[in-house]
Amino acid sequence: MRKLLDGHNLEDRDWLFGLMLQSPLFNPRERGGKVFVLPDYNQSMEQQREMTLKRIQYLSERGVFTGWLTSRGIESELRMLAFIDVLAIFDHSLSIKLGVHFLLWGSAIKFFGTKSHHDKWLRDTENYVIKGCFAMSELGHGSNVRGIETVTTYDSKREEFVISTPCESAQKYWIGGAANHATHTVVFSQLNINGSNQGVHAFIAQIRDAGNLCPNIRIADCGHKIGLNGVDNGRIWFDNVRIPRENLLNSVADVTPDGKYLSAIKDPDQRFAAFLAPLTSGRVTIASGAVYQSKIGLAIAIRYSLTRRAFSVTPNGPEVLLLDYPSHQRRLLPLLAKTQVSQQLLLYAMSFAANYLKMIYVKRTPESNKTIHVVSSAFKAVLTWHNMRTLQECREACGGQGLKTENRVGHLKAEYDVQSTFEGDNNVLMQQVSKALLAQYIAAQKRNKPFQGFGLEHMNRPCPVIPSQLTSSALRNSEFQTNAFCLRERDLLNRFAAEVSQHQSKGESKENAFLLSYQLADDLGRAFSDRSIFQTFIEAEATVSDLPLKNVLGLLRSMYALICMEEDVAFLRYGYLSTNNAAAVRKEVTKLCSELRPHALGLVSSLGIPDAFLSPIAFNWVDANSWSSVKN
Amino acid sequence: MGSLSLRLVSSRDQEEQEVVVEEKSSSFVRILTLNRPKQLNALSLQMICRLWDLFLAYEQDPNVKIVILKGKGRAFCAGGDVASVVRDINQGKWRSGAEFFRKEYMLNFVMATYRKPQVSILNGIVMGGGAGASIHGRFRVATENSVFAMPETALGLFPDVGASYYLSRLPGFFGEYVGLTGTRLDGAEMLACGLATHFVPSARLSMLEAALCKVNSTDPAIISAIIDEYSQQPNIKERSAYRRLDVIDRCFSRRTVEDILYSLEREVIDKEDEWISATIESLKKASPTSLKISLRSIREGRLQGVGQCLVREYRMVYHVLQGEVSKDFSEGCRAILIDKDKKPKWEPSNLELISDSMVDMYFSKVNDEEFEDLKLPARSNLPVSAIAKL
Repeated sequence: MRKLLDGHNLEDRDWLFGLMLQSPLFNPRERGGKVFVLPDYNQSMEQQREMTLKRIQYLSERGVFTGWLTSRGIESELRMLAFIDVLAIFDHSLSIKLGVHFLLWGSAIKFFGTKSHHDKWLRDTENYVIKGCFAMSELGHGSNVRGIETVTTYDSKREEFVISTPCESAQKYWIGGAANHATHTVVFSQLNINGSNQGVHAFIAQIRDAGNLCPNIRIADCGHKIGLNGVDNGRIWFDNVRIPRENLLNSVADVTPDGKYLSAIKDPDQRFAAFLAPLTSGRVTIASGAVYQSKIGLAIAIRYSLTRRAFSVTPNGPEVLLLDYPSHQRRLLPLLAKTQVSQQLLLYAMSFAANYLKMIYVKRTPESNKTIHVVSSAFKAVLTWHNMRTLQECREACGGQGLKTENRVGHLKAEYDVQSTFEGDNNVLMQQVSKALLAQYIAAQKRNKPFQGFGLEHMNRPCPVIPSQLTSSALRNSEFQTNAFCLRERDLLNRFAAEVSQHQSKGESKENAFLLSYQLADDLGRAFSDRSIFQTFIEAEATVSDLPLKNVLGLLRSMYALICMEEDVAFLRYGYLSTNNAAAVRKEVTKLCSELRPHALGLVSSLGIPDAFLSPIAFNWVDANSWSSVKN
Repeated sequence: MGSLSLRLVSSRDQEEQEVVVEEKSSSFVRILTLNRPKQLNALSLQMICRLWDLFLAYEQDPNVKIVILKGKGRAFCAGGDVASVVRDINQGKWRSGAEFFRKEYMLNFVMATYRKPQVSILNGIVMGGGAGASIHGRFRVATENSVFAMPETALGLFPDVGASYYLSRLPGFFGEYVGLTGTRLDGAEMLACGLATHFVPSARLSMLEAALCKVNSTDPAIISAIIDEYSQQPNIKERSAYRRLDVIDRCFSRRTVEDILYSLEREVIDKEDEWISATIESLKKASPTSLKISLRSIREGRLQGVGQCLVREYRMVYHVLQGEVSKDFSEGCRAILIDKDKKPKWEPSNLELISDSMVDMYFSKVNDEEFEDLKLPARSNLPVSAIAKL
């Protein structure tokens, strides 16, 4: 099961888990006869930041980062992504700090820059000779990157760019690494050449030298946060900072020494899209991280519920295990199914993303595949939301124990809350997904051609029919489940297109029409995501021949499908399911819960998270709390 | 003083003598002595079975609170009787060999999950199977005579008997060092790294035993305090490997055996270092296949419970016995134990010839009708959730 779910680089992951377990830097403690590792979140903000850096230095010395930026090929790309997964399982701050340095700063050099940048910066980045950060967000602009206010002009006499922060809302904000440690940054800024604004471009600037701030750079701390205090987020002001012309990251556009702007891509929208395409891998790692945290929460809560008892149901009988209550099963097992099923799409996306990055490294064109960008936005939104919901449920399922920081579950909520708004606000992303689907719809209609791409090919087939009577076996049938997902997506896309068009016919602009139809856009984004995730899982399930495993996968799949149907009001609102159908679905979910119950322990054991990275309540929590453990 | 009573049942004379049981009257302590001094107390199948019966019986017996295990003569126990296993394989009887390991690992598991304290007196050689019969117990008393080693890589095997569990939990990457090089550790080193829980000079052992026999409790804190009274803080010798932890952590943390060797060799490029050179030598003498599977075993074991480790090791030992990838186990035993020429001809002969998929085979599920995965008994002192199913 682990091979199916974790997918890649299992031995590499085990090695990295081992590196963390064997060093005191990762704060090992014994509880109830087992060793656990977890950062000490009771330390001050400054101490936590220092520990993060110390851990990074240790990992660097052990060769963990070798080849992350300087090797060619998918292998090192996949290993890097696997390692970031593993490090996030230990501590979010650690993975974020590394993500900023390697996946933001490092990727910017690799994908926004060209050979001279690679030669100059990649090796030093990999060896942590320099510490990079990524100055994109501003106080006044986050999700809307194109609206940022930092402005850069060109001085052709000195062949230098001049970067400045023209007003307070233009200060760079939330820049991980900037407050204490970073030496260099990629600055995103509007580029004004000869009075013309050429749009957002990226430049390299040094911000610290031998521990001191460089001239004309001002930095302030973002301050204490509700989580992630191991990351030193800073605010940056540029006071006419001068950088050499070569510091423009010029893979998509360039400026000649005498100040002429050049780009192979004429259309500024396309140019911007091509420019930012590499950031897709960031979305993939965030989504992957979200799935792993859900797994941690569920592993802890489910294991706890297999040893914790509360209330008897017979007089003089023993108290009942939490997970033997149907209601407790209903709270946790569907979330487990959703997590496992979503993982498949992530694996597919990981390898797709790695391949995609390789592709655009070699050749950057405007036709760079839009699907991966839309898909990664969709499931970043869906999976980070799923994660927050899962962690809340798991915290509650652990009762008071869920409040102890060392039990992890509750603390993870604060640590991961940021995921729903960074790298693109989830609501904005879902709107973008719907916009892209609408564009596909309109294009297909206009050219009178079949749907292609985004998995929308099902739109070309006749409309699926849902039987009015659904038996248990019908409900578990994968064809019925696929039909239900496709029907919802199809109908919502049609309705959405119709509503937008209706607004437009009343005189609204295309943009306004779109904004007014936000409810359907939201429903559609969800429909698309659920269907994509489902489809990828079915494909994976089909490759499995081992019967017991196939049986469990089938249960998970049905649970995923039916819980989506039970929870999304759209199925009833738009009549994809009759009220009888909906009642049958609900009943079947309860049945599935009791069938999954015996597999619960096996499932959480195969999640690929070593015991030491869970928490004491997942194991012998009575011994962990004994008086003798206090005395020692 | 209480009188010594030896239980002698005539039809089991032979077996009884290999494990001697002492039960001093009005004592809640049982003293088991491994009694094959000519073979350095190497564990035979009969001894393993006898220990199994005794341990299980004592667990249920309210009159037994402590089990002491020691060895007769200058060894505690030099290992499992692998020579007889190899004779079985060479005669095509791999099932008998597998049976030996199966019983041995089951015993290891019982000891690792035992509800009463086991105190092992390691006053001499404790290697291989001898470590398996003692390290999993609650208390391990080392002396100035202790010599510990897991020498399996020199034999074409791998550190088994749950060593992937306890070696991986030694500080830093000392476990990889001990498991791959087969190096010998003395009592002081055993205490320092945690293989031993106490160090008692051998002159005080009989007083310690007498004091333990007066104990009327299974409380580990009480027992530990008593052993403490006879304990001493030994000194780590000048040239101990334990003083080289920085090099060990730097090199033995590397991802692969090749990288480990390469980093060790880099350490001595510009300066001589006898200890590092000796370490390189022992790695080069070991079976290359053994090195690779041992490293992976320890790395996986680090993340698994003791039961999972033993189940995995049992699969690995099956593959070793089958000899599908390499017959180094037979060759190692021949060269070291049987012919004693100490010149094993390993096949594959070097690390580069062993691919990842060859290593994978040792860890793969067994598709043989005549083989069954190790079935560990349910142990009620652990909550069910603590033993994860595979």
